[in-house]
Amino acid sequence: MATLRLNGIRKRYPNGITALHDIDLDVVDGELIVVVGPSGCGKSTLLRTLAGLEAISDGELTINGRRVNELEPAERDIAMVFQNYALYPHMSVAGNMGYALKNRGMPKDEIRRRVAATAELLGLSELLERRPRQLSGGQRQRVAMGRAIVREPQVFLFDEPLSNLDAKLRVQMRLEIRRLQKRLGVTSVYVTHDQVEAMTLADRLVVMNAGRVEQCGTPMALYEQPATLFVASFLGSPAMNFLPVTVHRDGVVLPNGTQLALALPVAMPEGRVTNLGVRPEHLVEAASRPDTAAVLDVTVEMLEPLGADMLAYTRLSGLEEWLVVRLDGAHAAHEGQRLSLTFSLADCHVFDADGRRVSMTEGAAAKAQACQ
Amino acid sequence: MHYRRPGLDRLSHALLVLCCLLFLLPVWLAFTASTHTPGELYSQTAPLWFGEAGWDNYRHLLDGSVGGLGTDVLTLLINSTLMALGIAIGKIAISVLAAYAIVFFAFPCRRLCFWLIFITLMLPVEVRILPTFEVVADLGLLDSYAGLILPLIASATATFLLRQFYLTIPPELVEAARIDGAGPWRFLRDILLPLSKTNLAALFVIMFLYGWNQYLWPLLITNDADYLTIVVSLKRLLTSADGLVPWQDVTATAVLAMLPPIAVILLMQRYFVKGLVDSEK
Ligand SMILES: Nc1ncnc2c1ncn2[C@@H]1O[C@H](COP(=O)(O)OP(=O)(O)OP(=O)(O)O)[C@@H](O)[C@H]1O
Ligand SMILES: [Mg+2]
Repeated sequence: MATLRLNGIRKRYPNGITALHDIDLDVVDGELIVVVGPSGCGKSTLLRTLAGLEAISDGELTINGRRVNELEPAERDIAMVFQNYALYPHMSVAGNMGYALKNRGMPKDEIRRRVAATAELLGLSELLERRPRQLSGGQRQRVAMGRAIVREPQVFLFDEPLSNLDAKLRVQMRLEIRRLQKRLGVTSVYVTHDQVEAMTLADRLVVMNAGRVEQCGTPMALYEQPATLFVASFLGSPAMNFLPVTVHRDGVVLPNGTQLALALPVAMPEGRVTNLGVRPEHLVEAASRPDTAAVLDVTVEMLEPLGADMLAYTRLSGLEEWLVVRLDGAHAAHEGQRLSLTFSLADCHVFDADGRRVSMTEGAAAKAQACQ
Repeated sequence: MHYRRPGLDRLSHALLVLCCLLFLLPVWLAFTASTHTPGELYSQTAPLWFGEAGWDNYRHLLDGSVGGLGTDVLTLLINSTLMALGIAIGKIAISVLAAYAIVFFAFPCRRLCFWLIFITLMLPVEVRILPTFEVVADLGLLDSYAGLILPLIASATATFLLRQFYLTIPPELVEAARIDGAGPWRFLRDILLPLSKTNLAALFVIMFLYGWNQYLWPLLITNDADYLTIVVSLKRLLTSADGLVPWQDVTATAVLAMLPPIAVILLMQRYFVKGLVDSEK
């Protein structure tokens, strides 16, 4: 059982690239933290510095209050699951799982007992004598998990463990990882670039961008109150729509000159350019809200029926990007159709020119600081 | 490649058989010649079939009086085997460690070290044979197994090949082992060596043959018949004092000289095949 504390962790590679800038994070006992972000934002680097595979350039890392910066990976009592599993090809499943225990000098009987128990937990009992190449992708993934679990470490580290699996297996293993993690209660840090995986797995989510933590909090908190434009655009599929607007005396003006009578939640000087963010599911047809003052007239350019829902990619004149709308699956829309859309002020997110949220409520502001 | 054309199949088989026959012919001739008496060998052209004297010829070689060499064939075989084994094992041990250091450890000047090893590839034994002789003589290693083996024990080729293989090992495997608490020696023993089993078996065969076929170096540093190797002895037999070459001895020795290398190849072949079947990629 462990707590993990990152205090101003910085990583500079020898080639001068600073991959991590002052990362602060507190992971409480038994928590599953998911680190998510676009490719190259430093997720793997973060995980590898936690594991001790990369030296920490600056800052302090503690596990259970003990500084571990200088410790070798094996001494940190962590286990890591790699993206390509990194199973030892010449060892059997049992050999792979027991190798760390063997290196610790554990008696053979004890190793066998623990390997058998873990294999039982993961449904690998039948496969213990096989070599990794005689296993399917999903089974290999399980063995990699087993290798981590059997050691009963303080912390699990996962680096995109599901990205080599097909979509269906990914969903299944995702549930299984969640179940196992809760059952074993081991503090875990899980890296992924898949935002669905991130949302569904996380107790708390850390969104990273260019080596910094953009925001950290529960998945729903981040979804509902994204602190920055980046977080807003990163979480949610399809992504949030952004309307660049200019603040006006009684509302805002769209790029095409349309005025929307919106009372922004924060007073802003006239002429200020801001971004209005609205999620696809929050755009509704104006006919259903007779009292609304903010109407967007759009043309449907493409439809994507998903069964329960239908995604409409629509064009708002003066706007370069599509405006994506989530319609009811049974909606009778057709391409080329004109729609009048609206949204309620409560569902819209306002970001200033440098991407910070301006409509943040007090509670959300406090939550966003909860990483420290 | 497999084309569905019976004609082509038959043609390629015929070619294959022809080539095999061409390769085998000298061996066959040596073998048949080794079973004839000297008289028969001098009175006729190379015999294509066995003679009567096979048993006597071979026993004579084991008696200890091979064409005035002052030693028997068994000693020659043992000397050669010891030298070849020493060279093969030594080369592999040194190259494994050198390649391991070069690939997996970041120490100052490791590129320089690699290139220094690499350029010695371009220096054949013959080029450095005089200074090496000088050193070995000063160390008092003339006429000794150490003198036969040590100067030939470093191998740039094997180091290079093993380095290339080690470079293909995924870095995650190294990291997983580190997390699993395997120190450098454990990693070498438990992971690297088992993974390079196939390569090591192949290298062993190549290096054994290399050692077995050494001629110039053993010739130079051994005077004592007790340290004579079989390859050198063949040449000595050809230049016998009375002018008449004892062809039956030469061919029989040659046939015997082929046996240990064949044994090594057959023994190691199991490992290649097993390695190939077992291998991950
Ligand atoms: N060994 C290294 N030496 C120098 N720079 C590196 C090294 N490893 C990673 N980087 C750089 O550090 C930054 C972060 O890389 P990292 O691998 O952590 O990204 P990531 O978030 O895991 O991306 P992905 O989702 O593609 O795996 C990148 O700019 C990368 O080029
Ligand atoms: Mg990565």
